[in-house]
Amino acid sequence: MTTAAQDFLRSAAEKSANLTHRHILRKGIDTYNTAVNRGLSRFMNWEAARQKCHEIKFEAINHLDRYLLEFEQHVNERGGHIFWAQNAEDARKYITDLAKRHNVRTIVKSKSMVTEEIHLAAALEAQEIKVFETDLGEFIVQLRGEPPYHIVTPAMHLTRDDIAALFKEKLGDVDTNDPQELVAAARRALRKAFFSAEMGITGANFLIADSGMIAITTNEGNADLGVSLPKIHVAVVGIEKVVPRLQDLALFWPVLATSGTGQPITCYNTLIGGPRGPKEFAGPEEFHVVLLDNGRTELLADPEQRDALHCIRCGACLNACPVYRTVGGHTYGTTYSGPIGSVLTPHLRGIHEFNHLSYASSLCGACTDVCPVKIDLHHHLLHNRRNAVNAHERPGSEGSEFKMFRWVMQSPARLATFGAIGRLAMRMIYGLGLAGTALDPTRKWTKMHAPPRIPKKSFRAQWKSSLAEKK
Amino acid sequence: MAQTENPGREAILGRIREALTKPAAHHVAKTTDDIFFPMGDPIEEFQKQCAINNTEFLSTTSVDASAAAIAEIISGLPAGPIFLQDAPILRRLSPTLLNGHKVQWSTEGIPAEESQATITLAETLVAATGSVFVSSACGGRGAAVVAPIHIVLAFTDQLVPDLETAFARLREQGTPEQNSMIVLITGSSRTADIEKILVMGAHGPRRFVVALSPRSE
Repeated sequence: MTTAAQDFLRSAAEKSANLTHRHILRKGIDTYNTAVNRGLSRFMNWEAARQKCHEIKFEAINHLDRYLLEFEQHVNERGGHIFWAQNAEDARKYITDLAKRHNVRTIVKSKSMVTEEIHLAAALEAQEIKVFETDLGEFIVQLRGEPPYHIVTPAMHLTRDDIAALFKEKLGDVDTNDPQELVAAARRALRKAFFSAEMGITGANFLIADSGMIAITTNEGNADLGVSLPKIHVAVVGIEKVVPRLQDLALFWPVLATSGTGQPITCYNTLIGGPRGPKEFAGPEEFHVVLLDNGRTELLADPEQRDALHCIRCGACLNACPVYRTVGGHTYGTTYSGPIGSVLTPHLRGIHEFNHLSYASSLCGACTDVCPVKIDLHHHLLHNRRNAVNAHERPGSEGSEFKMFRWVMQSPARLATFGAIGRLAMRMIYGLGLAGTALDPTRKWTKMHAPPRIPKKSFRAQWKSSLAEKK
Repeated sequence: MAQTENPGREAILGRIREALTKPAAHHVAKTTDDIFFPMGDPIEEFQKQCAINNTEFLSTTSVDASAAAIAEIISGLPAGPIFLQDAPILRRLSPTLLNGHKVQWSTEGIPAEESQATITLAETLVAATGSVFVSSACGGRGAAVVAPIHIVLAFTDQLVPDLETAFARLREQGTPEQNSMIVLITGSSRTADIEKILVMGAHGPRRFVVALSPRSE
């Protein structure tokens, strides 16, 4: 058994050496960047938009109990059901029991990261219920038996040729790499599912406390079909998704679209408040909202990182991250990848197994700069590192190394002495061609990079002599 | 059905309350700065945004002119039922609109799979984003997404400048209380999941049409 950290390193090395993969990823993110830059110019004051979003989420998260209860009351009044799931197992059991009770054979699902988090589709498939992912990107990765590669664009790592080959094999009725034709083939395949499914499962981008509605955003209209045709609608939502007022969406919808894809607003922004009403002629007979904790209250209990619960899952920090852009989404081995994933995962799945993710960062801060709800992402990566050290999760040698480093740096004489020894040793090792071998203390770097040129004289000595020259 | 059993409810609420006894580490300054650009003429803006988001915008001088423009679109469609919201005005206009096609009224349930178009009214229109709010009352669930074309018959008095105003209008009308579903539609169904290339008509309609006129009745 390898650890998550070993898997990460191995996959990162493979993916960063795969130039085709890097090319696809770069192209996808370049297209995204162009669209987002255009999108940002549509705001008179983007910074004010971010600040306002931060304020609204701050208000919601810091009064989470009040707003969830308000939401629950409104949903109950309309005849909807709320289930509070403490963990993934609670949520899976509730939904599979519900499906079995209603003899559900087919489920149409729209894109939802939280259902990935609880591995819902696998649990349902184990009950011999067919689950169709209906978002095109999700449908593609489902056919490949892969998890989504990216929060917003799940099939970002694939070319149209990859998808053409996949559809030819799995769907059979299409043999072209034309995106239009490929989309049409997926539409044909999924239409049947939509019209035969007994249950629709969605996530939600927001829970609206003052009106008891959930807000779902799609471009394809797949969630709209999924909440219209089947007789049961189940929404699985993290408890942190609540916002206080319906009017808050006047800001969040454009902001989510801009940061997510660069669009001014997404095509279908759907609000659902319950099952089919007494004066309505279509829609599900039952509406269930599964409110999921699964570690979120532990993050809430950390006042320092509580704002990580503000996340609206736009994916902007993934696209901005130089590490994500090099190693890609699957390398993380987690539901939530990129900077936000590296912040959240140690809280949701344990600092023991996942503290390494907080080291997969140059701390450049690009993630924090693009976050539309102003989560202090790169500082949280630092906080996670500190927490890992305090929890004795880092190798003991790391601590001794830093103690040694501090001791040397605290005295000019010691720095001069050890600097001289270091330069001499490294010049010898590199000079003898031993860079990257077991004898090279810098081998972690030099295994992948040409060794740097080591100067004969220290910086201080060079500085002094150049001052002398000027005199 | 019996009340949902919720063993986790008190546990989760308890953990939330316990967590929130410690205040967040940072405080938030309030911004009052304007976020969006000021709006010019709403109809012009709506038209401009429709051009960007791929909504077919038909600006006409009367409801009858809108009906005629819609009828022209319907006449070009293959055989198959047209789904109409069961509203008095659409009942009245239906002979013009249907152009010989079979009709399915929204009171008969969800649009049939083979529907060629759906025609509905709107709750309100948003100029800033070129969007249309519909609700369960506007033909019910599925009316906006089942057919290849969704056509909205709208009136100039339904147009508001921005989303903020639109939500206030929905509140005044009691739309959230009276409808189990509200959808903000901006353009027609699309996806860019394959190499970020834009393809129209993913699961929902390929064409989204808004016919806008003064309310001339």
